[in-house]
Amino acid sequence: MIEAQSLTKRYGDKVAVDDISFTIPPGTVTGFLGPNGAGKSTTMRLIMGLDRATSGSVTVNGKPYALHRSPLSEVGALLDAKAVHPGRSARSHLRTMAATHGISTRRVDEVIDMTGLSTVATKRVGAFSLGMGQRLGIASAMLGDPRTLILDEPVNGLDPEGVLWVRHLVRQLAEEGRTVFLSSHLMSEMAQTADQLLVIGRGKILTAGPVQEVIDSVSGTTVRVRSPQATELARLVSGNGVTVTSPEAGTIDLRGTTAEAVGEAAAAHGIVLHELSQQRASLEEAYMSLTQDSVEYRSDVAHTNLSPHTNPSSRPNQKEENS
Amino acid sequence: MTAILTRPATTAERAPRPSVAARRTFVGVMRGEWIKLLSLRSTWWVLGSTAAVMALIAIGVAASLDSLMGNPMTSQGLGDLNGAALISTGFQIGMVTIAVLGALVITGEYATGMVRSTFAAVPTRVPVLAAKAIALVVLTTAVAVIGIALSYLVTIGKLSQYDLVPSLGSAETWRIFAGTAYCLVAAALFSLGLGALLRSTAATVTASLTVLLLLPSILGFINIHWVQTVVRYLPLPASQGFLPAGDPNQNLGSGLTATTGLLVIAAYAIVPLVCAAFVVRRRDA
Repeated sequence: MIEAQSLTKRYGDKVAVDDISFTIPPGTVTGFLGPNGAGKSTTMRLIMGLDRATSGSVTVNGKPYALHRSPLSEVGALLDAKAVHPGRSARSHLRTMAATHGISTRRVDEVIDMTGLSTVATKRVGAFSLGMGQRLGIASAMLGDPRTLILDEPVNGLDPEGVLWVRHLVRQLAEEGRTVFLSSHLMSEMAQTADQLLVIGRGKILTAGPVQEVIDSVSGTTVRVRSPQATELARLVSGNGVTVTSPEAGTIDLRGTTAEAVGEAAAAHGIVLHELSQQRASLEEAYMSLTQDSVEYRSDVAHTNLSPHTNPSSRPNQKEENS
Repeated sequence: MTAILTRPATTAERAPRPSVAARRTFVGVMRGEWIKLLSLRSTWWVLGSTAAVMALIAIGVAASLDSLMGNPMTSQGLGDLNGAALISTGFQIGMVTIAVLGALVITGEYATGMVRSTFAAVPTRVPVLAAKAIALVVLTTAVAVIGIALSYLVTIGKLSQYDLVPSLGSAETWRIFAGTAYCLVAAALFSLGLGALLRSTAATVTASLTVLLLLPSILGFINIHWVQTVVRYLPLPASQGFLPAGDPNQNLGSGLTATTGLLVIAAYAIVPLVCAAFVVRRRDA
């Protein structure tokens, strides 16, 4: 269980996290979505007590993280795959972490096996690929068999097999009754992994709830109709909160109504239908529409001038999120 | 807005008890820091070069004895000197490498991001600093012993020609050896404290070596009374309160008593660490 109350973090003039409150319940996978610079990583660092909140508070399993007597049993975090000294072997890194809590070397070898690092455990971390680094990060998060897991972009850099593995792992951890809080840029990944979403933009929570609800609340459902008499049908059903768009001749998309209502109206007026279907927006579409006003670093392709006289300041500014 | 996410009805109302026995203790944090130090190649390189540099300087000093003894200007002073001081002259350069180790122990963590893993495991943070300090004291003492022993062995032949082999039965010999180790340990801790405050390796090493080694000789040229007072309390001149200069040509004597010298050196070791303990607790990692 993670509970934030009016959590705020300012870096100088910049507000990274702006008065957010949320509760992440145990037994679920909660996805944390937001554009770069939205405040995801900052929020996770605040939960882990790595950064101090400017105001507000956040607790994990009932206490601020720093007050737990055995922090690694409470929370396992993958905050940054690079939070490892590159000169140390994976096994030594895990042993340094384990030693602080008196966790046995047997457990260290267990998490190494679990994350598929056995063959590279004695290699220096500096030589690791991004994917192996992520596996090491997940291994160190799992060391204390924690009740809560906080994973910042866990599938970043993993191959498809690794992505599938993370998906199964987090589902299993949630089914065991643990709290799983993970961020990702991959919306399709979230749609398949998360039970619920917390969407953040410019430091504020934009929306939250079960994945499908979030999608529906943002985009609504669209009813698509193909008919030789599409224009007539459009005239019949439009108005009264129903909006009509026509992507092509003979096809109309209706918002604000249901397939049943459209079908009944067509039958009543003897209109022939070639297709009547409910279109569900993807999470990706919902996300884009939610966050379009809160994208911190926009890459405005249309305005990019690639001529030799380009003013450098008009270049798309796609910074990586500060980690 | 307040986002309350609900638990799905299908999930059982059970919070799993961790199956892994874990309890954070200071002894555990100590062990963690110890493993950290010993599992990095750079530690072994720094420790090895410290002992090697000390031995090499001792060889150099011993080799210079022929010409120094031949010169009536210097031979008189040498005659009164304890050979232990000659042997441990190399500690000044040993301070360079040991200060780099002291810095790296903490700035290496900031540079690589390891510090976030460290502070996530030990969110109270100050025990980490204390454990690092203790581990450094142990390692530096060990390397000082090895460096002095090595210097003793490689110079014993030359020193015996001039009857300068320090007597291991003399308290003066042990006082000098202990003082040398004391300075090395203090240099390591001074650097660790600075490193925790500054976080950058380059800034820490520069600042640390400037204070430890460069300032006394640079400021020595400025003949203003208060500057000279400052110089007397810099680490190297202060150490002359309890360590006679091995090289009689080099007079950094500060006129401080042995006790004052020891206290001044202790302050260099402790004050930055205590400041760092306050700062590290409150600062974003």
